[in-house]
Amino acid sequence: MSTYNYVVTAHKPTNVTHSCVGNFTGPQELNLIIAKCTRIEIHLLTPQGLQPMLDVPIYGRIATLELFRPHGETQDLLFIATERYKFCVLQWDADANEVITRAMGDVSDRIGRPTDNGQIGIIDPDCRLIGLHLYDGLFKVIPFDNKGQLKEAFNIRLEELQVLDIKFLYGCPKPTIVVLYQDNKDARHVKTYEVSLKDKDFVEGPWSQNNLDNGADLLIPVPPPFCGVLIIGEETIVYCSASAFKAIPIRPVSQWSFFDFIQCIHKHLVFDPYDSITRAYGRVDADGSRYLLGDHSGLLHLLVIAHEKEKVTGLKIELLGETSIASTISYLDNAFVYVGSSYGDSQLIKLNLQPDAKGSYVEVLERYVNLGPIVDFCVVDLERQGQGQVVTCSGAYKDGSLRIVRNGIGINEQASVELQGIKGMWSLRSATDDLYDTFLVVSFISETRILAMNLEDELEETEIEGFCSQVQTLFCHDAVHNQLVQVTSSSVRLVSSTSRELRHEWHAPADYSINVATANATQVLLATRGGHLVYLEIGDGILIEKKHAQLKYDISCLDINPIGENPNFSNLAAVGMWTDISVRIFSLPDLNLITEEHLGGEIIPRSVLLCAFEGIPYLLCALGDGHLLNFLLNTTTGELTDRKKVSLGTQPITLRTFSSKNTTHVFAASDRPTVIYSSNKKLLYSNVNLKEVSHMCPFNSAAFPDSLAIAKEGELTIGTIDDIQKLHIRSIPLGEHARRICHQEQSRTFAICSLKYNQSSTEDSEMHFIRLLDDQTFEFISTYSLDQFEYGCSILSCSFSDDSNAYYCVGTAYVMPEENEPTKGRILVFMVEDGKLQLVAEKETKGAVYSLNAFNGKLLAAINQKIQLYKWMLRDDGTRELQSECGHHGHILALYVQTRGDFIVVGDLMKSISLLIYKHEEGAIEERARDYNANWMSAVEILDDDIYLGAENNFNLFTVRKNSEGATDEERGRLEVVGEYHLGEFVNRFRHGSLVMRLPDSDVGQIPTIIFGTVNGVIGVIASLPQDQYVFMEKLQTNLRKVIKGVGGLSHEQWRSFYSEKKTVDSRNFLDGDLIESFLDLGRSRMEEISKTMNVSVEELMKRVEELTRLH
Amino acid sequence: MWKEIGDRESGKLRPNSFITRIRSNRVSSLQLSNHKEIVSPHRGAINSLQVDLTEGRYLLSGASDASLAVYDIQRATDYDGGGLIAKHKPILLVDKQHQNGHKFAISTAIWYPIDTGLFVTGSYDHHVNVWDTNTTQVVMDFKMPGKVYRTAMSSLATSHMLIATATEDVQVRLCDMASGAFSHTLSGHRDGIMAVEWSTSSEWVLVTGGCDGAIRLWDIRRAGCFSVLDQSHSQLGRRPPLLERSTTKVSTSKCSLPGQTSSAKARAPQRKGSSGSGSKHSGSSRILRHAKGSAKQRLHPGLLSSQDRATAHYGAAFDVWTGKASMTLHGHYEHVNCCWYGAHDQELYTGGNDRQILIWSPPKLISEDVDEGDRRTGQPLAVDQDNWSD
Repeated sequence: MSTYNYVVTAHKPTNVTHSCVGNFTGPQELNLIIAKCTRIEIHLLTPQGLQPMLDVPIYGRIATLELFRPHGETQDLLFIATERYKFCVLQWDADANEVITRAMGDVSDRIGRPTDNGQIGIIDPDCRLIGLHLYDGLFKVIPFDNKGQLKEAFNIRLEELQVLDIKFLYGCPKPTIVVLYQDNKDARHVKTYEVSLKDKDFVEGPWSQNNLDNGADLLIPVPPPFCGVLIIGEETIVYCSASAFKAIPIRPVSQWSFFDFIQCIHKHLVFDPYDSITRAYGRVDADGSRYLLGDHSGLLHLLVIAHEKEKVTGLKIELLGETSIASTISYLDNAFVYVGSSYGDSQLIKLNLQPDAKGSYVEVLERYVNLGPIVDFCVVDLERQGQGQVVTCSGAYKDGSLRIVRNGIGINEQASVELQGIKGMWSLRSATDDLYDTFLVVSFISETRILAMNLEDELEETEIEGFCSQVQTLFCHDAVHNQLVQVTSSSVRLVSSTSRELRHEWHAPADYSINVATANATQVLLATRGGHLVYLEIGDGILIEKKHAQLKYDISCLDINPIGENPNFSNLAAVGMWTDISVRIFSLPDLNLITEEHLGGEIIPRSVLLCAFEGIPYLLCALGDGHLLNFLLNTTTGELTDRKKVSLGTQPITLRTFSSKNTTHVFAASDRPTVIYSSNKKLLYSNVNLKEVSHMCPFNSAAFPDSLAIAKEGELTIGTIDDIQKLHIRSIPLGEHARRICHQEQSRTFAICSLKYNQSSTEDSEMHFIRLLDDQTFEFISTYSLDQFEYGCSILSCSFSDDSNAYYCVGTAYVMPEENEPTKGRILVFMVEDGKLQLVAEKETKGAVYSLNAFNGKLLAAINQKIQLYKWMLRDDGTRELQSECGHHGHILALYVQTRGDFIVVGDLMKSISLLIYKHEEGAIEERARDYNANWMSAVEILDDDIYLGAENNFNLFTVRKNSEGATDEERGRLEVVGEYHLGEFVNRFRHGSLVMRLPDSDVGQIPTIIFGTVNGVIGVIASLPQDQYVFMEKLQTNLRKVIKGVGGLSHEQWRSFYSEKKTVDSRNFLDGDLIESFLDLGRSRMEEISKTMNVSVEELMKRVEELTRLH
Repeated sequence: MWKEIGDRESGKLRPNSFITRIRSNRVSSLQLSNHKEIVSPHRGAINSLQVDLTEGRYLLSGASDASLAVYDIQRATDYDGGGLIAKHKPILLVDKQHQNGHKFAISTAIWYPIDTGLFVTGSYDHHVNVWDTNTTQVVMDFKMPGKVYRTAMSSLATSHMLIATATEDVQVRLCDMASGAFSHTLSGHRDGIMAVEWSTSSEWVLVTGGCDGAIRLWDIRRAGCFSVLDQSHSQLGRRPPLLERSTTKVSTSKCSLPGQTSSAKARAPQRKGSSGSGSKHSGSSRILRHAKGSAKQRLHPGLLSSQDRATAHYGAAFDVWTGKASMTLHGHYEHVNCCWYGAHDQELYTGGNDRQILIWSPPKLISEDVDEGDRRTGQPLAVDQDNWSD
């Protein structure tokens, strides 16, 4: 039963909704504060760029974010209001480096109709009051007292009901607001009001202006000396004040297509202010003479107020260049501008004085990845490694893209050279006490080449005279006394690293060529043909053969990595054997066998490694078939315990240690490179986002500090490694808006439904396509254009009964401008032949095909109100067609459909979830049960046979249960709500799958998970926990709520309570994983506090929370 | 629709605006439902309709033949017209034969606002009954001094369980369900009281309208009414314009109410064509509620308006934003007595003297592929028949 669910964020929101600039953390420090829906980030502006200072979750969806400075303060305060009518004022505590709450409160009213155009929160420039427009017809005022403290709020009735924007005017003796509104004839006007704090009412303001541009939706208050306000319309920009009125046209091109326009007229809608041209502005100068305006297609304009002294004489507008489509613009300093975006990556840009070759003044310095809005995604396992990758349809308009999100470690490539046939790599230092590596020894089948960094920081081939470079090198290592060791098949050479000359050489006996070798700073261990093991020690200019042993079988691998106290000397040697498939531990220097461990099976060990993680010594042993064994090693007795086996890949693995951020990790090079690391004394495996790596060695050079040299298919790459365990995101810009995606295993392709906005000519148009992409290169390989007005609504890869081919099915809708609801659509069936989309069948429908599902070898479509089942029929002439079999009416709009066996779960536009069943005998679909709540759905998924998960319009999640054991028909016909939770994110899609590799031996391997994607770019995971674990975690959550206080004093319990127009109830049967996992970030004392109240040891708590973190 | 869904998906359209937009689109296309019917068992004019406030699922109707019925409006009892027309038969019916049934016309039937376990009826037989829905038994009975015209319970109330009753008598009585006695008697009206409603913003505020032409607002914690809206005074024209607007509206509904009941009493058959004054007669509890809400909101209609809320009667739906009738719905053969707007599904239920309960809903596209859908495979005969009819 999946009643108990654990919700956790795998990828935090990235959609930037608000930003502001001010001196928040200190009087001299300039900060950029960014709101990403449910998080705020505070950055510090430094000469090096933006430096992150704080990133905290807010228990609410941020509706407004404003910086202000009350009288007598030296630095700014931050005002945040949330969509659930909570507000708080935050201040920076420089000593503790955290935010503290100055004030907080609730500004909700019992009755009132929430504003349609979003909440408005503004602060008087002279800090006399905070104004909030939350409900139609009401303006809420929170006055400040003389000391800058907030007083009790009150409402003032605002006669204007359709308010588009409200701003405070500068330079007014009394606080004055300017209101942009729309009347009931859809004309737009501005009006000013003075706020009389004494009477708690409005007084008619100094001026007003009627009949503005029909697209006017943004007000920019102009600071002194000019004062007044700029009204940004779709066609004109107007400067308005008590004394002046100046207007300029923006540009003739309309962003709206003709058809949209007709549609608007038809629906008696006004031009949606959300859609209008200018979406964001940023003030450049303190005196307010220049503004940056970002429009709907990502063009950045500069608006200049021309003036003579303090008198405004006109306006000028100039195109600067293109950015991401801005939702917020913050001018930082010195021509640096932060462009926050909801539809594309946010950017840090620099405005240049001179245009570049393309005439753009904009130079993009940095991009910040934004996955939002994720309208659809699919979970695929492209590399067939058992680990899910999420491919999202992200962004919108020109910034549309596909993003491949994958859990794993990224390598940031710094340099690469083409080199074929690398057999081994080692880095060497030019002196023993050198901090950095200088040489990179690359061994090939019949030669050895040495690369070194030259003065220009380029890799250049060089020579070490003492090395033998005509043969393959088996091993190299730095040795004490400024020496280097090279092992070839015939000899061991000791070379001075300063003079680079050979100092000593140890020759293997004739006919006993060296097979494998290893070394550390003072020791060399090698094995020759015939099972001879030779132990040498390195002295100053001399190699001494200390010991020799004859083993029964040939030796396949060796290691003497020092894990004891002496970093240069190992007391143990690990040896892997051919024939009897065993690992043996020998003591050094006497070369006595102390342990022998038979591995079982027929695969020989290919690499052994002694290493210590978090002070615990392990022996790792990699087999030729990609399996890895790990043992706990007792360094004194050499005993091996706690044997564990995991599968990392299918090819032989080479193990190497490296260190990153002062911690030792192991890199397992194979067809599926993996990093092995330890966390909380537990070995963890995280795959590296590289295809196939044959060899790896750390290469910490001065130019590329902390880098790795990686040999892969014909290439040598030097790169740094990402933080361990992090989502890796790859972007595929499309230049068009992908709406639906699905993957087809058989043809190894993706198909997407996308739309392209054409803004080339004066008339804008949208074109809709079905595109086929290669699942490796992500290139378009075939395109099918849909008809005019035809939208792709759903896509599915499936096969039918009696037909082995895999097909892509696409559901479309003809969205006619004059129709409220589509009355016509198509189901198109494609087959991929020679990389081309071939239309095989086509079926006209009487409405939009909102969803397609494979169902019992048939096709189940949701067409407007109806669920329709189609059979795949063979015609007499051998062609195929879709033939309708049966259907079910009774929905308002069946938007989201999932199936399992004969059950069909439908998410309706506004009537929650219903459960249908297909009856084979009767060939009919019947309703079985329904949830009678009025939830406006945004996604549904089936968790298991009985429990269904839904996401609804008010950012909530809920689960319902089929009640098949109910006593009455009424009970059986009702889906019982079993779980409720406020996610605070608008979920567009659920999919079964997992982002992490599920290791069969792990405890979390059995927990089913669902991935979801949201408008804000969140990728989250919902895991269905066993009941005992749930109960434990719920207890932990309750305790954490007491210890971890929400920023701004916002309550976590309230935030997670299910909240809709009709009701607010406490969350149940859902846990907030983000809160629970923040346990690991707590200080020891607070952990102990919790551990005490829970009566569970800190270690146990950590272990259990750690386990859950491995779900994502 | 697809466009809105797409815009919501990509974050262009706020979820709230999405709902408002779709609702108003649907409301503006209200028409006689082509997929849902209520089978009325009543043999008299329907006087009262209400859908429960918790689930939005059960419609309660009271009729002048002293019968009352409950329908499940979410789940059809059977289907007609090839499974396309959902028939909703009463799942509960109480008539004169019932041991506790009312003797005369039921003028008002309302749900207990907290759940659907109880409902309250008021009748011309001077009784207000509280019923247990599951057992269909009267659990409480209040004897009133005269004919009961209306009852009301506050949906906000957390600290009282009072049924406000409007009767022939000049006093408003508050029946306390907790004790089974009258807790308050509010005096002020000079004639019978036709209408009563609780405020939607305060659980203590009650609004009543009487035959004396006045609307009185009461705070039940205090003695006497705190405000009187008197039509004759309002015509003096001394009020600010906003006030005027809402008062006029209040008065419309108020003056229509007597008309409504009188027609119910007289049972005068009146053809729809002959009644040109249909919209005048269209007072509805819903509009009253609006106007009253406005009065509480310092007479600002905006809070409730901005979407055209169709609150029709016999024909008319008002646009509160402009105050004009925005659509006329024709369907009943005789006078319409009552209506209820189900916000859940954007459906409107009306009951009239013609003993019918009609459902007005946004049209469903009943596509022609119905036949196709029903044409099950293995029934070639049916296909043939189709061909024949062609």
